[in-house]
Amino acid sequence: MLIVIVLGYVVVGGVELFLWKERPWQEVLVYLLLLSATATFSVLLTIDAQLPVPEPLGTLWNWLQKLWQ
Amino acid sequence: MINESVPERQGAALVFLFIIGNSFVFGLARWAGRDLWLSFLVAIVLALPLILVYGRLDTLMHGQSFSEGLHRLFGKWPSRLVALIYSFYAWRLGCLVTGNITNFVQAVSLPDTPQVVMASAYAILVLWAVKEGIEVLARFSSVMVIFVLLILLTALALATTEVDLQEFFPILYDGFWPVFQGAFQLLDFPFLETVLLVGLANALTTKKNSAYKVLIPGFLLAAFFLMLVASASVAILGEEMYKITFFPVFLAIARIDIALFLTRLEVVVGVTFAIGGFLKISVCLLVASKNLAHALGFPDYRFLVTPLVLSIIPGSQWFAKSVMEMNLGATKIAAFTDVMVQIVLPMIFWGVAEIRMSRVRKNKAGKPSGI
Repeated sequence: MLIVIVLGYVVVGGVELFLWKERPWQEVLVYLLLLSATATFSVLLTIDAQLPVPEPLGTLWNWLQKLWQ
Repeated sequence: MINESVPERQGAALVFLFIIGNSFVFGLARWAGRDLWLSFLVAIVLALPLILVYGRLDTLMHGQSFSEGLHRLFGKWPSRLVALIYSFYAWRLGCLVTGNITNFVQAVSLPDTPQVVMASAYAILVLWAVKEGIEVLARFSSVMVIFVLLILLTALALATTEVDLQEFFPILYDGFWPVFQGAFQLLDFPFLETVLLVGLANALTTKKNSAYKVLIPGFLLAAFFLMLVASASVAILGEEMYKITFFPVFLAIARIDIALFLTRLEVVVGVTFAIGGFLKISVCLLVASKNLAHALGFPDYRFLVTPLVLSIIPGSQWFAKSVMEMNLGATKIAAFTDVMVQIVLPMIFWGVAEIRMSRVRKNKAGKPSGI
C-alpha cells in the first residue's frame, strides 16, 4: 500500500512537472518539497491511523497551568 | 499578479454558499436547545460588527490583493508570517470540511466505502476548481445558490406538516447562559469563518464599497436560512433528539412523509451538503494557496495548488478520526486558534490600517483610497 501511495505521488508530480510550460528552479524546488511533505504525511497516516495532531498551543497552556500550580 | 474580478451578486452567492457549506447538517447551537433561535439572533448581532470589519478591510485594500495589502501594512517579513498563519488556517479548515463530508457520507449512505475514496474524488474536483480561480467558483455559486435555495425552501415547506411549535416552549427555561454558549459556537463555526474571504479581497471588491454589498447580504441570508433549518429541526425532532443526534437536519427531513408518496427527501440534504462542501473546500484551498505563495514570495499561486489539495486527503483523516470527534469539533463553543484568527488578528489589521489611512490623509502624500 505504501509503495502504491508513493508511486501515485511520483506519477502526479512527474506528469504535472512535464506539463509546465516553464520550470523556474525556485518553483520546482518548492513544488517538489511540498509534494514530498504531502507524500510523507500520507505514508505516516497509512502506517498509523491514530497519528496524534500536534497541539503547540495546548502544550503551552498545559505548561502555563503547571507553572501556576 | 493575476487580475480577478467577481460581480457583487456572484460574490454574495459565494458568501452564502460558503457559510451554509458544510454547517447546516450539524446540530448548530445545540447548547441552547429549544432556545437556539435566540442563539442565532445573538450570534448574528455579535457577528455583524466583525463582518463589517472584514468588509472595511476589503474596502481599505481596494485595488490590491490581500498579500499586497498585508505587505503595505506590516512590511515584508511580518506580512509573510501573517500570510503563513492564514494559509495554515485555511488548509486546516479545508481538511476539516473534507473530513465532515467523508464522515457524513460514510455515516448515512456508504458505510463500507473507505473515506479516502470520497476524499480523493473531492480532491480532484477541488484541484480543478482552485486552478480555475475565484471567478469560476463565483459563477458556480451564482448558479448553485438557486438550487440550494429551492431545495431548502421546498424541504422547509414540506417539513411544516411535521412541525410542533410547542417544542419551543417554555422560552429561556434554562436561562441566558446556554443561549450565549450556542451563540459563541455559531460565531466560531460557521459565521466568522468568512474571515477567509478577506484573503480574496481583490477579486470581491469590484467597486470601492462593494465588499459590504457582497459580505452583508450573503451573511444575513445564510444566517437566516441556517436559523430556519435548525429551528425547524428542533420543532420536528424535539430538543433532546436534536442535541444527541449527529446530523439532526438529515433526520428531520427524513421524517417528511406526504401521503406516503413523497418520502426519503433526506437525499436532497446530502446534495446541498455536497455542493456547499465542495465550494467551501475550494475557497479554503484557494486562500491557502494564495497566502502560501505570498509567504514564500511567489507572485503566482497555481503551482502550489496540487500539493496542497492532495494534502487534504490525509489531512481529512487526521484532524477528525471519527464521526463523534468531528461532531464535537464542529459544535465546540470556541477554540483559541479560531478566536485569534477570526477576531484578534482582523481587529489588529483594521486598527493598523485605519491609523495608516489617517496618516496618509493628514500628509496628503498618497492616495486616500487604499492602505
